[in-house]
Amino acid sequence: MEKSGPVQKAVVLQPFVKLVRLVARAFYDDYTTKSDNQQKSARSDNRGIAAVVLDALARRQWVREEDLAKDLQLHAKQLRKIIRLFEEEKLIMRDHRKETAKGAKMYSAAVAATTDGRAEDKVKLHTHSYCCLDYAQICDVVRFRLHRMKKRLKDELEDKNTVQEYGCPNCQRKYNALDALRLISMVDDSFHCENCNGELVVECNKLTSEEVVDGDDNARRRRRENLKNMLQKLEVQMKPLMDQLNRVKDLPIPEFGSFLAWEARAAMAARENGDLNPNDPLRSQGGYGSTPMPFLGETKVEVNLGDGNEDVKSKGGDSSLKVLPPWMIKEGMNLTEEQRGEMRQEAKVDGGAGAAAKLSDDKKSAIGNGDEKDLKDEYLKAYYAELMKQQELAARRNQQESAGEPTSGIQSGTVYSGRQVSMKAKREEDEDEDEEEVEWEEKAPVTANGNYKVDLNVEAEASGGEEEEEEDDVDWEEG
Amino acid sequence: MFFHIVLERNMQLHPRFFGRNLKENLVSKLMKDVEGTCSGRHGFVVAITGIDTIGKGLIRDGTGFVTFPVKYQCVVFRPFKGEILEAVVTLVNKMGFFAEAGPVQIFVSKHLIPDDMEFQAGDMPNYTTSDGSVKIQKECEVRLKIIGTRVDATAIFCVGTIKDDFLGVINDPAAA
Ligand SMILES: [Zn+2]
Repeated sequence: MEKSGPVQKAVVLQPFVKLVRLVARAFYDDYTTKSDNQQKSARSDNRGIAAVVLDALARRQWVREEDLAKDLQLHAKQLRKIIRLFEEEKLIMRDHRKETAKGAKMYSAAVAATTDGRAEDKVKLHTHSYCCLDYAQICDVVRFRLHRMKKRLKDELEDKNTVQEYGCPNCQRKYNALDALRLISMVDDSFHCENCNGELVVECNKLTSEEVVDGDDNARRRRRENLKNMLQKLEVQMKPLMDQLNRVKDLPIPEFGSFLAWEARAAMAARENGDLNPNDPLRSQGGYGSTPMPFLGETKVEVNLGDGNEDVKSKGGDSSLKVLPPWMIKEGMNLTEEQRGEMRQEAKVDGGAGAAAKLSDDKKSAIGNGDEKDLKDEYLKAYYAELMKQQELAARRNQQESAGEPTSGIQSGTVYSGRQVSMKAKREEDEDEDEEEVEWEEKAPVTANGNYKVDLNVEAEASGGEEEEEEDDVDWEEG
Repeated sequence: MFFHIVLERNMQLHPRFFGRNLKENLVSKLMKDVEGTCSGRHGFVVAITGIDTIGKGLIRDGTGFVTFPVKYQCVVFRPFKGEILEAVVTLVNKMGFFAEAGPVQIFVSKHLIPDDMEFQAGDMPNYTTSDGSVKIQKECEVRLKIIGTRVDATAIFCVGTIKDDFLGVINDPAAA
């Protein structure tokens, strides 16, 4: 909710929700989905249903109409009828879309982020309709509606759109404005009686004047009284609504944007939120709880790779230090400098044993039993001694390296590069590894792979499920 | 409101028009007879746009005139109550003002002119706001709303108002 966060912070939804609730009760209280002749039994009387739907919409942002129907325990058809009414009345935005698997998933994610996380697993593949209150438009529509109501009554009260009447003071003949063309005189500005050529007078305020007594005028006066009463009632009954409208007038209006924008934003927010800070206060803004999204594979993988790298370094250090045992070294072998160095040291320390080892390796069978045993002991002693030295050396080298001495000799340099190479190589082809190395090498890739696999499985399952439902869900077609 | 409709009329043609140009003669006579007339039912016939059919002529006994039933397409103009029109002011007096929208004449009585406009008598009688910013006089163009129509067999007369949002003077050539 990084992007929508600040916006929502500034926008207070509550007054607008109150406005919607007032509107629902003022204008849609006796709306019923039944036609008049159907509406006989009290059981089928569903007045107030529109108010229920509006209230429900005020608790949500964008919502799939099917889900809304389910939540309200309404028949989808019934709900659609009401929704269509609101659409005509310009209270809501609607969006229809042929659902793909991805779209449904995105919506589910968005829902989870903005409502209480009841992201349905069900994925439909037909035309789905989404709706959302359009608060900006609601304000305008309601204000305009009130204005028109008042204006209409006032116009009738003031005879604004009535045709002006004229009377002849002499012969009492009545005319009206539609006769104007015939009454106009070339002599002066005024209208003249066709009968006696008397100057006509405007018959105004006839309704309020006291001396008029004939029945027709009485009826009109009564009607006028009715109009006055209605106007007064209107003022009184609509006062809460008008007050709320005025309260809301200068507040920033909650905008959820178009459906696609909202969905994308909500999904993104969910991902960011779920990862960074599960207790992000922004998430509880406006009363929308949220649950973390199962989208977090990527980061986990990275973390695990990091661990793996450390493993590789420490263990790889050992492995690259691995030296050929003296008894394996033969003349003419292509040895690394490291190994040669060891050879030289070995030769210095225990040349004879080394030579014996050479012999023993190749021609064990040719040597006698007793000799063999002696040689073996001899060899083991020499080997272990050499091994000790090696480890000491290695330890010293490591210390030098960590102390930051780059020119610590050929050996350390080679060791280092060798380590890197082996590490890289192993990581690249972690499938066909030598058996001894599997133990330590595979750790990192395995974890990484594991996570990737989980992700893939999720995708695969989702797409699989959606295909299934593509087949059996036909009922939500727009009709 | 304008409509494009098909009307039918029985045309009587003098025998002297019979000949090669009978059809042309018939059509030109139709135009002369019909265009600019007003019928209460269809409104003002503005223009004939085409001839659909000309039926078989029927010779009248004794006169030699022939009657042809003609179906023709035409544009008609029929004002309705509630319709918004733009009209040119033709006459201003203390009772209100008259205006014309094409063939239709409309009268706007004083009480349907905004209250802040006062009648000013003189050479050029007019209705003017107190600050003089808006003036209704002859030749002004006004937008008005029709609140009543009187439809006779051969004429339509309207009563209008400019006492509503977005109504009133839209252009004053005298002021420009
Ligand atoms: Zn008279």
